[in-house]
Amino acid sequence: MSDVALNDIRLDIAGLPGNAGVQALRQQAADVFARTGLPGKRAEDWKYTDLSRLSAVLGESWWVTAAQTEPADVHVIDDLDAYRLVFVAGQFQAEQSNLPTGVQMLPLADFLANDTAERGHCLFHVDESAPLFNGLMAANTALASDGLCACIGDDVQLDKPLYIIHNGSSTAHVLNGLMLGRNAKVTLIEHFVGAGSDAALSNIATYLRLGENAELRHYRLQLESDKQFHIGRVEVKQARDSRYILHAVELGAQLSRADIVVDLAEPGASCALHGLFVASGRQHIDHHTRIDHNAPHCRSRENYRTVLDGRSHAVFNGKIVVAEGAIKTDSAQSNGNLLLSKNAGVDTKPELEIYNDDVKCAHGVTVGQLDEDQLFYLKSRGLSTEEARQLLTFAFADEILTAMDIPAVRRFIEHKAFAKLPNMTDLEGLLG
Amino acid sequence: MSNAAVKEKVETTAEEFANSEYEAGFITDIETDTLPPGLNEDVIRHISAKKDEPEWLLKWRLEAYRHWLTMTEPHWAHVNYKQIDYQSISYYSAPKSKEDGPKSLDEIDPKLLETYEKLGIPLREQEFLAGVAVDAVFDSVSVATTFKDKLKEVGVIFCPISEAVREYPELVQQYLGTVVPSGDNFYAALNSAVFTDGSFVYIPKGVRCPMELSTYFRINALNTGQFERTLIIADEEAYVSYLEGCTAPQRDENQLHAAVVELVLLKDAQIKYATVQNWYPGDENGVGGIYNFVTKRAECRGERAKVSWTQVETGSAITWKYPSCVLRGDDSVGEFYSVALTKMRQEADTGTKMIHIGKRTKSTIVSKGIAAGRGQQAYRGLVRIGKNADGARNFTQCDSLLIGDQCGAHTFPYVEVKNPTATMEHEATTSKIGEDQLFYCRQRGITEEDAVNMIVNGFCKDVFNELPMEFAVEANRLMEVSLEGAVG
Repeated sequence: MSDVALNDIRLDIAGLPGNAGVQALRQQAADVFARTGLPGKRAEDWKYTDLSRLSAVLGESWWVTAAQTEPADVHVIDDLDAYRLVFVAGQFQAEQSNLPTGVQMLPLADFLANDTAERGHCLFHVDESAPLFNGLMAANTALASDGLCACIGDDVQLDKPLYIIHNGSSTAHVLNGLMLGRNAKVTLIEHFVGAGSDAALSNIATYLRLGENAELRHYRLQLESDKQFHIGRVEVKQARDSRYILHAVELGAQLSRADIVVDLAEPGASCALHGLFVASGRQHIDHHTRIDHNAPHCRSRENYRTVLDGRSHAVFNGKIVVAEGAIKTDSAQSNGNLLLSKNAGVDTKPELEIYNDDVKCAHGVTVGQLDEDQLFYLKSRGLSTEEARQLLTFAFADEILTAMDIPAVRRFIEHKAFAKLPNMTDLEGLLG
Repeated sequence: MSNAAVKEKVETTAEEFANSEYEAGFITDIETDTLPPGLNEDVIRHISAKKDEPEWLLKWRLEAYRHWLTMTEPHWAHVNYKQIDYQSISYYSAPKSKEDGPKSLDEIDPKLLETYEKLGIPLREQEFLAGVAVDAVFDSVSVATTFKDKLKEVGVIFCPISEAVREYPELVQQYLGTVVPSGDNFYAALNSAVFTDGSFVYIPKGVRCPMELSTYFRINALNTGQFERTLIIADEEAYVSYLEGCTAPQRDENQLHAAVVELVLLKDAQIKYATVQNWYPGDENGVGGIYNFVTKRAECRGERAKVSWTQVETGSAITWKYPSCVLRGDDSVGEFYSVALTKMRQEADTGTKMIHIGKRTKSTIVSKGIAAGRGQQAYRGLVRIGKNADGARNFTQCDSLLIGDQCGAHTFPYVEVKNPTATMEHEATTSKIGEDQLFYCRQRGITEEDAVNMIVNGFCKDVFNELPMEFAVEANRLMEVSLEGAVG
């Protein structure tokens, strides 16, 4: 990256919130970013996702945070009883939000503005040795404008889900940090929406820490406009007996890439990652997940389902690493891919790296189209070809949808997902 | 017996298992004609001149060499090894014969024959047994090929590739480097530049090769690399089953083995290619052993061609090998069956590539990895289903068995599908040797050693069943040898 560009970033940083310590860390991140730049196709983890489109579409200074525009009208989950946090173009909107009382929770920008101490903040440390590290992470740290900053205390169980709406029709770098104390229990819904007609970048990093026996249900719903570039990172560190459940839904964006990194750091921790991609047109969706079993008696489950139509392209890379000494590991991973059109494509790689013999690990992948015999069976029972196709497609995704424990979210996603596919709109009637 | 006691037993088993001795580790004291270490264009010219090669081949070698100079060694494989100094290797070593070369078995140095006998290849008994025609490659040159006459009757050409270059130049020129181009990868380029010998097989149209063909490779001389090149062409409707075995003596230095195998299959042809690789794996501290960096690829050019790779990999300090199938012809079939065993400090990164290009192409992958001691085992495979491969089908199963708590087993399966009518399934499991299974066997009075043996053999059965009988016996024996001394 050119020095001019780096200087631009430095100037941008100067206008962002943070005390001297945070500013220094932002500058360090900018240096890392200037050095590493965008990951190229030669990098193993970016083999199937070409980020050159990012600079080709958004121009040389693709990372620039655009000035705030009038929030476009977007569709959110209205019938959801939750604490709301609304961000537009990476800025918190106090008047549209209601935060829970009695817990430490602030928008990041407010938190930084109030923190006048000279020391930095742990959210701003860039760790280049982190799994799936890339330049965009450093860019996020350097340029983060706002986000969620919360510490949920020991034994606190939030009565309603936290519902974060990111209305991202312009370029934004958002940094979220959520820490759960002992026995804490929280449901976090991150909903990315946009209705912009211009392309922009959403660069979202979410760092999660789970204390002993804590439980976090995390919904990550990506429904950006089909012009948007979406880059996400979720990093989870789990203490003893904690539980992390992710429901990742990818419906929007022209190019979406998310890196999900889970560290099962202490015995008895468990995680379950559920993923659903429904892509059409020329969409490109990519999830790289990495689960590190670093302690004995941990359990991980992973189930990703992909439905591809049009000329869309999906990438799934699920890596599970079992460290030496992480005995009694129980891990299972499954990835199903349904290709509905001639021009759709999928690249998938379920990886296992195991340094220990006392483990139970399995993974499976399937790729195919709708089964002729099943279609025939349904047609023989009086369903039309279209209805049969709809029903089977729905059934394929059903496993992921039924795992969602909030009915309002599930209905919303069902509706949005199948509205994307041709002749799927009357599905509700069919399911009666 | 309590569970804990069983576990303790297993650990002894694992240790013994991991350190069991290398049986083929003797050195044959024989006079050799060896080039001094180093690699440059003169060395290549020298090799080419020694082999009396035509001008085009020398040119081809030199092009490969110049390309190689521009390439960097690949490091993406999940293996660790010391940097290789390519200038410290001797690129040509041949047993020195009193005459120009052996004409028949009787003329072969008796010491050589003794070596093969120790290894259990029935070279001399060949003519009495209705068995295998052997092309034995000792260091860099092919020393004897048996059964040549009998094969000639049906039109099958089976000879050292250096001889094929002289006698069938048009065939060699037509096919050499068409499946694995000289610049394909770092080691293939090196091989193309310096390959010294290997086997050449041509099965003419409609011929079913009357016997199984076999090559035995052995690295004997110190500080040499072995770069053999095998080219097998199965013309329309031809069939051949080909076996390959490898060993090397025990030495403290690491030796390099960078081979290239090319298989060409025309319409309705079938090739079965089996390998039992038992190169010296180094000692329990990881000193010495062969670096086995091999490029193997088959191309089904015609419709309904069928190729199958079967490999049993028990040797080598480092294995880096991905026998591949390019399924170009419609309805062609590719199969890959593999058992890889790593013990002590052995590392293996192996697997296959199935490239589906033609319509209704089918592939099957069955890979069984066994890691013991401090062995590291990786399956790395690619299944690519191209845009036009309508109705392509793949089934992949890769299982790993872990024995001991210091070994590792890894799986890196790449799946790339660009056609909705394709069906692909991939399954992988990793588990340790079952305590319950061991307990059950022990309870029935079966010794620890036999029980481990039985479980491992059962685990590998799917693959051993694919081997020709002679090799299945050898493979079983190899496994048993590796498991020997299991009861402590």
